[in-house]
Amino acid sequence: MFLYYCDLAWRSIKKTPMLSMLMVLAISIGIGITITTLNVYKTMSYNPAGDRSDSINSIQLWSQGLDTWDDFQSNITYTDTINLRNNNELALKAASFRTGLAMQSDNQDIEPVLKSIRITDRDFFSIFEVPFLYGERWSKTVDSQPAYQVVIGEKLNQTFFDGQNSVGKTIYLNRKPYQVVGVIKEWNPQPKYYDPLNGAFNDAEEVFIPFSLTEQEEFDVWGNTSGWKFEPMLTYQDRLNSEKTWIQFWALLPTAADKQQLQTWLAQYVEQQRSFGRFTDTAKTPQESFQISDVALWLENNDVVPRDNKILVGLSVLFLSVCLVNILGLLLTKFLKRAPEVGVRRAIGASRGQIFSQYMVEVGLIGFIGGIVGLLWAWGALTVLHAEFNVDPSVTGLDTSMWIITPLIAISTAVLAGVYPAWVVCRTKPSVYLKAQ
Amino acid sequence: MLSMKNISKVFKTDLVETHALRDFNLEVEEGEFVAVTGPSGSGKTTFLNIAGLLEGFTSGEFCLDGVNVSNLSDNHSAKVRNEKIGFIFQGFNLIPDLNLAENVEVPLRYRGFNRAERNRRVESALEQVGLAARMKHLPSQLSGGQQQRVAIARALAGEPRFLLADEPTGNLDSLMARQVMELLENINQTGTTIIMVTHDAELARRAQRNIQIVDGQVCDFSMYQKAEQSVVTDLQQAAGIQQAASSNG
Amino acid sequence: MLHIKPILSSLMRSKSGPVLLLLQIILSVAIVANASFIIHERLTMMQRDSGLMEEQVLSFNVYNFDPAIDNIQQNVIDQQILRGLPNVIDASSTNMMPLSGSGWMDRYVDSADEDTAKSMPGFALYLGNEHLLNVMGAKLIEGRNFRPEEINTQLDQSGMVAMVSKPLAEEFWGDESPVGKIMYQGAQTIEIIGVIEKLQGAWVNHENFEYSVIQNIDFGGGLKNKTYMVRALPEHIPALEEAIVKAFHAENPNRVIDGFSSLLDMKKESYSNHRLMATLLSMMVILLLLITALGLTGMVMFNIQRRTKQIGTRRALGAKKRDIVNFFMVENYMICLAGGVIGGLLSLQLGQQLMSLYSLPMLPMTYPIAAIAGLLIVTTLAVIFPALKAAKISPAMATRSV
Repeated sequence: MFLYYCDLAWRSIKKTPMLSMLMVLAISIGIGITITTLNVYKTMSYNPAGDRSDSINSIQLWSQGLDTWDDFQSNITYTDTINLRNNNELALKAASFRTGLAMQSDNQDIEPVLKSIRITDRDFFSIFEVPFLYGERWSKTVDSQPAYQVVIGEKLNQTFFDGQNSVGKTIYLNRKPYQVVGVIKEWNPQPKYYDPLNGAFNDAEEVFIPFSLTEQEEFDVWGNTSGWKFEPMLTYQDRLNSEKTWIQFWALLPTAADKQQLQTWLAQYVEQQRSFGRFTDTAKTPQESFQISDVALWLENNDVVPRDNKILVGLSVLFLSVCLVNILGLLLTKFLKRAPEVGVRRAIGASRGQIFSQYMVEVGLIGFIGGIVGLLWAWGALTVLHAEFNVDPSVTGLDTSMWIITPLIAISTAVLAGVYPAWVVCRTKPSVYLKAQ
Repeated sequence: MLSMKNISKVFKTDLVETHALRDFNLEVEEGEFVAVTGPSGSGKTTFLNIAGLLEGFTSGEFCLDGVNVSNLSDNHSAKVRNEKIGFIFQGFNLIPDLNLAENVEVPLRYRGFNRAERNRRVESALEQVGLAARMKHLPSQLSGGQQQRVAIARALAGEPRFLLADEPTGNLDSLMARQVMELLENINQTGTTIIMVTHDAELARRAQRNIQIVDGQVCDFSMYQKAEQSVVTDLQQAAGIQQAASSNG
Repeated sequence: MLHIKPILSSLMRSKSGPVLLLLQIILSVAIVANASFIIHERLTMMQRDSGLMEEQVLSFNVYNFDPAIDNIQQNVIDQQILRGLPNVIDASSTNMMPLSGSGWMDRYVDSADEDTAKSMPGFALYLGNEHLLNVMGAKLIEGRNFRPEEINTQLDQSGMVAMVSKPLAEEFWGDESPVGKIMYQGAQTIEIIGVIEKLQGAWVNHENFEYSVIQNIDFGGGLKNKTYMVRALPEHIPALEEAIVKAFHAENPNRVIDGFSSLLDMKKESYSNHRLMATLLSMMVILLLLITALGLTGMVMFNIQRRTKQIGTRRALGAKKRDIVNFFMVENYMICLAGGVIGGLLSLQLGQQLMSLYSLPMLPMTYPIAAIAGLLIVTTLAVIFPALKAAKISPAMATRSV
């Protein structure tokens, strides 16, 4: 019977090509726009931490003075970073910021390149589960006793070492030799959740060096440095001693007890620092002076999904509903026009259910075609977005979930639009239309 | 075969109640060919709609083929229509987008027959009306009489127990009308009960039995007896009635 | 005479069609009003004049990783090289690029006394030498530019002077001329010597985007990573990139020279999200109107078909062609107006929501009104053609059985 309905539906669609095209156009544009915005929204709001989102936490501190910043800063000061790094209660923890250095190897043929570099601790690799290809991260002692060691990415390893196992080899950063201890596999989480502050959809760094080198190497900060009071910053030591915030701090807290323990520690820490004359905003209690954000909260607080995108999703859903109402009207028009035929079918013995099914199949078919065309629109729109507006490719790639979401939206739109007309037409009184047509 | 007892049908609007049928009684035996006549507005169409289970009624009892069909659900009456009743309309009511075979196939689709069975029945029904050669034609490519024969084929395809015909020749010229009528008579010969609404007295006379509906009630004259009776006895009887009438007067 | 009453009663009888149309128009007005407001807001934003010669300014980064390089000395040499290149109009070092999305922001106070000092609004802080103004093509409207002998190389030196943008001066000093005023940062004093008509900062979305200060520090000194700006005619810029890399590497090969970008590209990049938003929303509005118009036409055409006999009868009874056209026009205008009014109210409500959720500015009344007007035009276009066709129906249709 389903195939019979499909056959009838296809004939009906072919019989009124303009009307059918109009309906397919309406539904496909509605779906195209919705899928486009939804796709961008979905990829932007993706949480790469997955089920570890609760365990991976970043720490923010209210170290500012009274009446200065209204919110927690995403970064913390160097002083607080060092103190947190020395908190032995934390099993896995990592400080992290970005710098840039010129990279060379012993191979003189390769031009020096200016690389974006992640300065961090050994635990960074386990907190974010960074996969290794060769070797491993630097040893625990390097975090306290600085050593010129480096972890590089697969692609760089290809460029500088022809993809061979380069562990033990040397690269030069600003002409200083660093020993390669590990090569990681391609790793580029999108959004770049471990540091979304300067471009949430930028590529991950490919070079990692120990945070413990910061004081002696005086790495430039390629990120935000924020201050809330006047502090001259003429030397690197000024920066380290200042109240300026510029370092992110991560800790792995797998259980509620771990979180509880850290909260207690942080409250005590704030009180202790107050006795040293820091954390001067007394309007906040020590318990209010810190924030432990899991990845979901962290991404939200850092506005990874821009508000424009939320507005667009909202408006496109409204747009889709206009299309829906439009199709509803057209379907009603079309179906009512065929009431005499329905009368005959009913007289001949079609039940209401059979008439209803026949028309729902027709609606479903329109929805299906509309969905496919809509997906094409969306694909085209995303391609244009990528080409014309420099929107990041990771955001404009059609998310695999869209292959499920699109037909779902298409069919439910069509069904919503079709139920009422099909209902009206299946309730046609057979006797009314049988007398002289 | 068909039995209506005290059927009433009242149409209510805000202002008035219209009695389309009142205390309507009718018995039709298996194999009968009944012609229903009556002035327009008398309730012919209402009777036909009720007989064809296209409409419900206000009160009374209606049995079809020994089954009480007075209060059937919508789905159930659709099933009965599909299996037991064949419809023939004045306006043919073929579906213009479907070719002849597909039109005839419609009731079989709803009955859920498989393809082989459908094909067999479509072919035999179209053969019966003499249009088997034009299966793939669209209704618009046929004359009115041919269209009505397709409609009859569609009614026959389901092998119904009885046919309801509503002015089957109303839109046809006299030659075509005669052909259609002959076809109906042939079908009746094979045992199918036929109820035909018409206002054509000549056609009505060809049926076994004549019923007139006046003001929503039956006037069963049984004026015309079985077709086998000779014209002579017919005339004699007519004279006798005339005599009786005059003596009564 | 428009005969509204019979039209209204015929509308009331065939409920679902008009109701759907009404719903569609309500939603359309709500979307179109808000979307066009956002579009307008973004376009206005993008059309702000930067006050600079955007298409003539090329910037790039130099990263000196040779420990032997004397950065202060190198900075001077590099700028001389740049100014000596053919087709270069002028060149300067800088700490940040306007419209680039990253830079320095600071706020000074108006007194050395910490307790009574009033803080200036936050501003973009440019550090540069006497060439910077000319390189950017900014216009000095009061006071003077830096003199070559005034240029410092470090942030903590004395003798700091500055030029401020006019919007900043107006915001803080009102009508008073800022020239000669002293700004304070801690104990350091900075004297204002000039006013620039227009100089935007780095962040296009920032509320203090027009507030800028240029201070007399040749910023190339002391840092490995330097940014330079070069001014040249647009047709010379592509060839310049290669010439600069070549000249700089000839001077010292131990450096990475990259990040070439014209100010125009930076501006485009910075506004790309707004451009995107405006484009997407414009597309939405156009498609919405198109779909509404086509839907309306389809509906009217069906209604005319359904009422062919009725129209024939009306014509037979003496209705003029104009009356038939009027009938359909008035019918749809009524729906459109009713939908427009409700949709207008809905759009204000939606605007409120957007305002509270996403801190958008309030939707001015003009937008719903303009949206209704637009929809009236669309309605006219969508209805007039089928209606004219309807008027051609022959009175003879009345007698034909259809």
